[in-house]
Amino acid sequence: MNIIVCIKQVPDAKDVRLDPKTNTLSREGVQSIMNPYDQHAVEEAVRIRESLGGEVTVLTMGPPQAEAVLRQAISCGADHGVLVSDRAFAGADTWATSYTLARAIATLGSFELVLCGKQAIDGDTAQVGPGLAMRLDMPFVTCIQKVREASETGMVVERMMDDGYDVIKVTYPVLLTVVKDLNEPRVPSLKGTMKAKKAVIKTLTAADIKAESALIGLSGSPTKVVKVFPPEPRGERCMLTGTVDEQVEQLVVKLRPYLP
Amino acid sequence: MLQIDKDLCIGCGICESQCAFGGIQVADGTARVGDSCTLCGACVDACEVGALSITGTEKSMQMNLADWSGVWVYCEFRRGELAQVSLELLGIGRKLADVRRVPLSAVLMGHETGDAAEKLIGHGADTVYRVEDSALALFTDDMYGAVMTALILKHRPEIVLAGATAIGRSFIPGVATRLHTGLTADCTKLEIRSDDGALLQTRPAFGGNIMATIECPSTRPQMATVRPRVMKALEFDTLRTGRIVDVAPPADQLRSRIEVIESVASEGAKVNIQESDILVSGGRGLDSERGFVLIEELAKALNADVSASRAAVDAGWISYPHQVGQTGKTVAPKLYIACGISGAIQHVAGMQSADTIVAINRDRNAPIFDVADFGIVGDLYEVIPKLIAKIEEHRGS
Ligand SMILES: Cc1cc2nc3c(=O)[nH]c(=O)nc-3n(C[C@H](O)[C@H](O)[C@H](O)COP(=O)(O)OP(=O)(O)OC[C@H]3O[C@@H](n4cnc5c(N)ncnc54)[C@H](O)[C@@H]3O)c2cc1C
Ligand SMILES: Nc1ncnc2c1ncn2[C@@H]1O[C@H](COP(=O)(O)O)[C@@H](O)[C@H]1O
Repeated sequence: MNIIVCIKQVPDAKDVRLDPKTNTLSREGVQSIMNPYDQHAVEEAVRIRESLGGEVTVLTMGPPQAEAVLRQAISCGADHGVLVSDRAFAGADTWATSYTLARAIATLGSFELVLCGKQAIDGDTAQVGPGLAMRLDMPFVTCIQKVREASETGMVVERMMDDGYDVIKVTYPVLLTVVKDLNEPRVPSLKGTMKAKKAVIKTLTAADIKAESALIGLSGSPTKVVKVFPPEPRGERCMLTGTVDEQVEQLVVKLRPYLP
Repeated sequence: MLQIDKDLCIGCGICESQCAFGGIQVADGTARVGDSCTLCGACVDACEVGALSITGTEKSMQMNLADWSGVWVYCEFRRGELAQVSLELLGIGRKLADVRRVPLSAVLMGHETGDAAEKLIGHGADTVYRVEDSALALFTDDMYGAVMTALILKHRPEIVLAGATAIGRSFIPGVATRLHTGLTADCTKLEIRSDDGALLQTRPAFGGNIMATIECPSTRPQMATVRPRVMKALEFDTLRTGRIVDVAPPADQLRSRIEVIESVASEGAKVNIQESDILVSGGRGLDSERGFVLIEELAKALNADVSASRAAVDAGWISYPHQVGQTGKTVAPKLYIACGISGAIQHVAGMQSADTIVAINRDRNAPIFDVADFGIVGDLYEVIPKLIAKIEEHRGS
């Protein structure tokens, strides 16, 4: 089994905060982390390899420092890390990102299984996985919450829906995006950490993956960000006071419009 | 490229504080662009001396925009019912279509859709493209995607909207990719710019910490998924008339490469917390599974549904579909009551657009009180039973 997992480095949301007074983003000591959903994708890939054999490659498109998440994935059991990095990729929206990742995957070889996180917590779009599947001409299933069965020929998975779940049978090649219910990512072993330190990360540029310059980065992105601004602050807040009984009484009065 | 005019830059550092990606830094009195710049433009807007600009923004793909006209809404239909968000989308779709002076069309896919098409007309659609086939009874990305793509290519609408639901956020990205056009996820506001009729799509990013307005300048259709419960549906109007066009897709569009073996409605299946008017939400402060019995009781008194923080879900007290937050669901109910929830940013990201937020927590410094409209400091095991009693009392009177 040749498995590729697309992972992204994102700013840790708990560090990104709006200063309510100045309405600016305070990024004091913002850490970069592996997108949480992608950690579950890496874990699942490693588990499948452990039962069926093969190799797990982790792939990221990003600035040079995104290499850190590749090493983290290797410490958790991935075999190879590939960094797709080029100034020309800057400003890519999900359309251009999925094109770039697809070109990189085509350059690397053929894979039976492509795994992505459901969404990246910076942009929260959840669009790269499905877009990538279209470009690779692979069937895809999003929001996998459970792998019931994985064999040499295919898988039976549960996909989370708003109203329950669907049980789906797929054959390779296939692309899946995963949610966090899927598994519990392992902590890196000492051996893994050593391996990650020594691992040679392959780096690919736009030229290496033969990406058409018209389709990458800002100019290859159909969408354009025209404005970035802080959300409207919530209205005045009110701490109720008095004894519990008094507070409850006040609250029920406030909630009257909502009472059935 | 982000260009910095070194002569104009005064090294004030505003750009640095505005960048969510750590992509620009001030050193030696002047701003410098780093590798993590995503060209989002936040710094350009913030720069008070106009020292920053983004170049190379010309889109390489150009379509003849005049060839595309009309507003479309994908109307989700599952388990014999229209999703509520479909009607909300017809509400905003109607507005957009009226501003653009173009018709509003709905796309209805499924099996045994009954009077759903008539319902869509009553809620604002001029035309309903109805695709009825037993193959579409269960959702598959490739079939739904193929049918939708073909319809769009045939009729060329300028705008296509879909609900930001499990289904919409799954197959619509594939459609946009195939159509070589942009897609904006999970929008909370849509407007038409009067100069040129462009669709301005506003959405939260970074778990709601920043808002971004996005357009799709040179390709069509302009596509967006829209968060449930943000837009308003129009009242059903029995007098509205419209046209139903039955579409029979060719066989190749109705073949899937995946096989849905079974579609399971989970215990709380009727409850999609994204569509609830009122949510009573429990966190680690409940201390045990038993706490949810109390939460259920309060929910019952309010005719509400039950949701939870990740800590409660991780503890196994309630299932994941009930989780609110960055790695759970984003909800926007009219009323959200957080019980024993600290208000970690990842949780707040999922519920801060509720109309009214109530927090019950015994720690008066809990961050949940920063977003709450009404806060009660106290032990939830004391507060909630009293609250239930009071609600019953008020109902009685
Ligand atoms: C990548 C990532 C993604 C995440 N995604 C999510 C997400 O989607 N959703 C989410 O919710 N969290 C998410 N989290 C977790 C989040 O950071 C918090 O850990 C979580 O929200 C805490 O849940 P809680 O408020 O229930 O528990 P706690 O933080 O433990 O808070 C419990 C609260 O209950 C109060 N309390 C205790 N006993 C009582 C009592 N008897 N009466 C009244 N009050 C009481 C306490 O004062 C405390 O404030 C995520 C974290 C990470 C790192
Ligand atoms: N730059 C990237 N490099 C590698 N994988 C990515 C990148 N961006 C997105 N992905 C993958 O696509 C998923 C969804 O991301 P998004 O569509 O941005 O929310 C992520 O969980 C990753 O698996």
